[in-house]
Amino acid sequence: MKEYAIDVPVEPPKELRSLFIPIPPEYVEDVYKSDDFLILVGPQHPGSGHMRLIVRVRGDIIQEVIPDPGYVHRSMEKLAENRLYIQNIPLVERPAIMDAANFNLGYIRAIEEALDIEVPERAKYIRTMLAELCRVGTHLYDAAILAVFLGHTTGFMWPFGLRELICEALVRVTGARFTSSFIIPGGVRRDVDESTLKWIYDMTLAMEKRLKSFERIFIKNPTVIARLKDVGVLSKEEAIKYGVVGPFLRASGVEYDVRKVEPYEVYDELAWDIPVSDEGDSYHRFLVRVNEIGQSLSIVRQCIKQMPEGRVISDQIAENGSDIRGAFYDSLSDIVLPAGEYTTLTEGARGTIIYSIISDGESNVPYRVRIVSPGWLYLRGFMESMKGERLADLQAIYGSFGYFPPEADR
Amino acid sequence: MIRLEKVRTDPVETLKRHAEAFGEAVKQAIKPDRITVEYPRERRRYPECFRGFIVFDKDKCISCFRCAQICPANAIQMEYFDNAYPGIDYSKCIFCHFCVDSCPTGALNTSKVHDVAFKTMEEMKLSAKNITKIPDIVREEILTVDYYVDKNVWKLVKKKELDKLEVEPKPVVVKARKAACAEPENCLGCRLCVNVCPQKAIAVERCEITIEEEVTGTGCILRVDTEKCTGCGLCVRQCPMQILTLEEVGE
Amino acid sequence: MFDVVQILNYLFEIFSSNMMDIPLIAPIVDFLMQIPLLNILVALILWKPFFAVVIMPGLGVLMLYLLYIVWYERKLTARVQWRVGPLEVARPIRGAIQTLADGIRYFFQEAIVHREAHRPYFVQLPLLAFIPVLLPILFIPAGSAVGIYTPYSIQLIVTFLALIPITIVAIGWAANSRFAYIGSVREAFIYFAYEVPFIIAVISMIFLYSSGDAYVAVEKQSMIPGALLNPIAFIVYIIAMLMATSRLPFDIPEADQEIAFGPFVEYSGILFGLVMVLAYEKLYIMTLLFTILFLGGWSGIYCPLLGDLNGPLWLFIKTVVVISILVIVRSIYARYRLDQALRIGWTSMLALSIMALIVGGVVGVWLS
Repeated sequence: MKEYAIDVPVEPPKELRSLFIPIPPEYVEDVYKSDDFLILVGPQHPGSGHMRLIVRVRGDIIQEVIPDPGYVHRSMEKLAENRLYIQNIPLVERPAIMDAANFNLGYIRAIEEALDIEVPERAKYIRTMLAELCRVGTHLYDAAILAVFLGHTTGFMWPFGLRELICEALVRVTGARFTSSFIIPGGVRRDVDESTLKWIYDMTLAMEKRLKSFERIFIKNPTVIARLKDVGVLSKEEAIKYGVVGPFLRASGVEYDVRKVEPYEVYDELAWDIPVSDEGDSYHRFLVRVNEIGQSLSIVRQCIKQMPEGRVISDQIAENGSDIRGAFYDSLSDIVLPAGEYTTLTEGARGTIIYSIISDGESNVPYRVRIVSPGWLYLRGFMESMKGERLADLQAIYGSFGYFPPEADR
Repeated sequence: MIRLEKVRTDPVETLKRHAEAFGEAVKQAIKPDRITVEYPRERRRYPECFRGFIVFDKDKCISCFRCAQICPANAIQMEYFDNAYPGIDYSKCIFCHFCVDSCPTGALNTSKVHDVAFKTMEEMKLSAKNITKIPDIVREEILTVDYYVDKNVWKLVKKKELDKLEVEPKPVVVKARKAACAEPENCLGCRLCVNVCPQKAIAVERCEITIEEEVTGTGCILRVDTEKCTGCGLCVRQCPMQILTLEEVGE
Repeated sequence: MFDVVQILNYLFEIFSSNMMDIPLIAPIVDFLMQIPLLNILVALILWKPFFAVVIMPGLGVLMLYLLYIVWYERKLTARVQWRVGPLEVARPIRGAIQTLADGIRYFFQEAIVHREAHRPYFVQLPLLAFIPVLLPILFIPAGSAVGIYTPYSIQLIVTFLALIPITIVAIGWAANSRFAYIGSVREAFIYFAYEVPFIIAVISMIFLYSSGDAYVAVEKQSMIPGALLNPIAFIVYIIAMLMATSRLPFDIPEADQEIAFGPFVEYSGILFGLVMVLAYEKLYIMTLLFTILFLGGWSGIYCPLLGDLNGPLWLFIKTVVVISILVIVRSIYARYRLDQALRIGWTSMLALSIMALIVGGVVGVWLS
């Protein structure tokens, strides 16, 4: 279709200069002199979360998206430098509270690597189980947000209802619905009794039954497929180039999962697969995560079946191997890491979490803690995938990435 | 590795999916898998390990400050009446229960109370006197709800009983410890430990040093009254020379 | 004085000559008819044209329907979504008067007119929008009760229905907000996408009955309902009805997550209450036409006790049942994108409606 430029003298509105917009004024003028429009989505828009997207559209087609993150930046890395190592545990969980166990696990593994703590087998199984439960919870949360972006209210309510089972499982194990702060250097805080494990085992089966209903009404819904299919496509090369991580990388056809490449905890002892797709569109980004839920539930069941008896806290930390109660302060408050830098990779629900702790070897607070969360890593790919799509697709692509501003901003 | 296939969108498949979605909705409309807990009228049964309102037992407290020092949110402030006791600021508390796990005597204990409302921010700062029992909450519920799961059903089981919100304090499995001086010859005689001891169990005695003797230290002798010592470890953390330790006694 | 009595007598004769005959309340009516002055009121109410327009299936039951359907839709959606829905207003009857409570709240709430709005139109248009919604009621017959009898009633109803989107576009223009603007543009797009297949589907039914008269249509359905005579037109009509009333999956002009209720974003108070029920009223009118065209209209099991009330009652019951089934789509579907909805409207629905036209012609020849 041929386009006709209309030569109308347009001045950029004064507000664009007075508002803080992280783009040069020349860019704004350039947009206004061409046939484009500049649309600010967010930070208060119901469909964007706490971030602003500066969208340049020509007609209904998105030309370029410039992200303006940082509205929920809490300077987590700086805060971590002023606290004891053990006091940082509740802090590092805060970026993504649904995914608390994975964030917690990465930090703790860095400390254990520094102190050479041998974690008991049973504790490893409990940690893996918690991490997978949190992964399921996060994927369900993201599915719900995707559904409400598409206007599918049932698809919004059901995953939150299903997530209630995950919360119930976590509350029975750790005592809190999320942000459990349950994983400590040398194991976990408390042993889990048999009846709770039995309940979680049954829960995974009951959840699979309900996920089938969810599949019928939302995942395989023709309107959902129509909205998401062939929208926001990232090819394999683009996904690698822009540094996309996690399930979104796997949806573009790259078989990379930290749990397979560098297995931690007991992932190498369990039988599971990584779902991969070659399409790279929004629907497959969602579908990969749906398949991961099934894999995670299977991992949880295997963990419960294979869980050995024994201590859950390393004897290097505390004498009582089944409960840290009473000895928490004396064994953990004054840990000092030897001088050096310790880095761990963890596969969180939304992708690779990188923790890097630098210690000066003397003080009982870290010298520097670096957290790179998956949201920040795939932000570039997220912006690139929106180019050339319609403005109404912005919400769909946003939902398909499950972008979570607090996680990216830290 | 599972390689996901391209999704098919031919008309027959689409019609089938329409029918499946419609059928599922009709099934739910006729017999919903409802899981709503009508909260003020019903209450979920939480496990014994639930991390809720913290209850404080004054008799067990040895004023060791461990809870206040471990708190990641700085929510615990020690107050002094006859001894130093923890007061909790619930506007800051994040319910990580590091304090409960740190308490060596089990003076802090959890409860299942999670629904306390305060009128002002000042009221949220609870003194140690006010957290000795669970707060007075208006309980409107008549039913207690459990989540029952089986292989393929998940339903709510409602029982006509009131859940007990207090949690029986579990005994703490920690060996009793007493303060002791490991290297008496390095004592400075600064008496910081004497000042800090809440039980007045430490005394520093000045000995007479005669000129003939060879001087090995500052000449201070530190005595710990093991009867009075509770093993709180305040002196250990205070000592500038780090010569005080906690020694395990008994079983 | 003499003149007034004469006029009243004249009116009374007009009214009482064409009254609803309902054996169930006949004794009461007979008693009231003997009281002077009150008898003229009773005669007016039971006068068939008045009864059809103001009581049933007109304004009176329309209000009842609105109270019912808003509550019912919320309740049904909640049921499908594992929730409870409105409950706390009148708990013993499961929140059944929630809509009434909301209506009262809207009524006494402050209606804010923002600075950018075109004030006269912004305030007037929600009221003006009722004219095209309520005019079709004049021509919808229900058994022997009919406001204005005309052999072209079906065409007239379709014509007035086509006027409603114009008021919505005007509302979006008067609100002068970016969301309202996008919403009214989307409404205009969708309007063309559904209106053409909708009108062709109705024309196919007029072909089939070889008349635009609702009485002929109902009479010809005495053996087989229209839905079976022309199933393609039936499907097209249902989809067009969903599009026309902004129901999911064609919730595009009012998309909450994208443009925050579209043309109606700036309304508050009673004005919002008026524009919110606009789509429900449109749904009611369209379903009345749907019932007449496809489901045999007011024909049903005749109850001798109800007499003339049988027709309006059956029409109303059928309409409400159809709507109650239709509102479940809200909990099934996600929202299509605008271009997808337009594609559906201009390709498959248009093709289906033309097929319906052919079927209508063929079956029409067979029927006659």
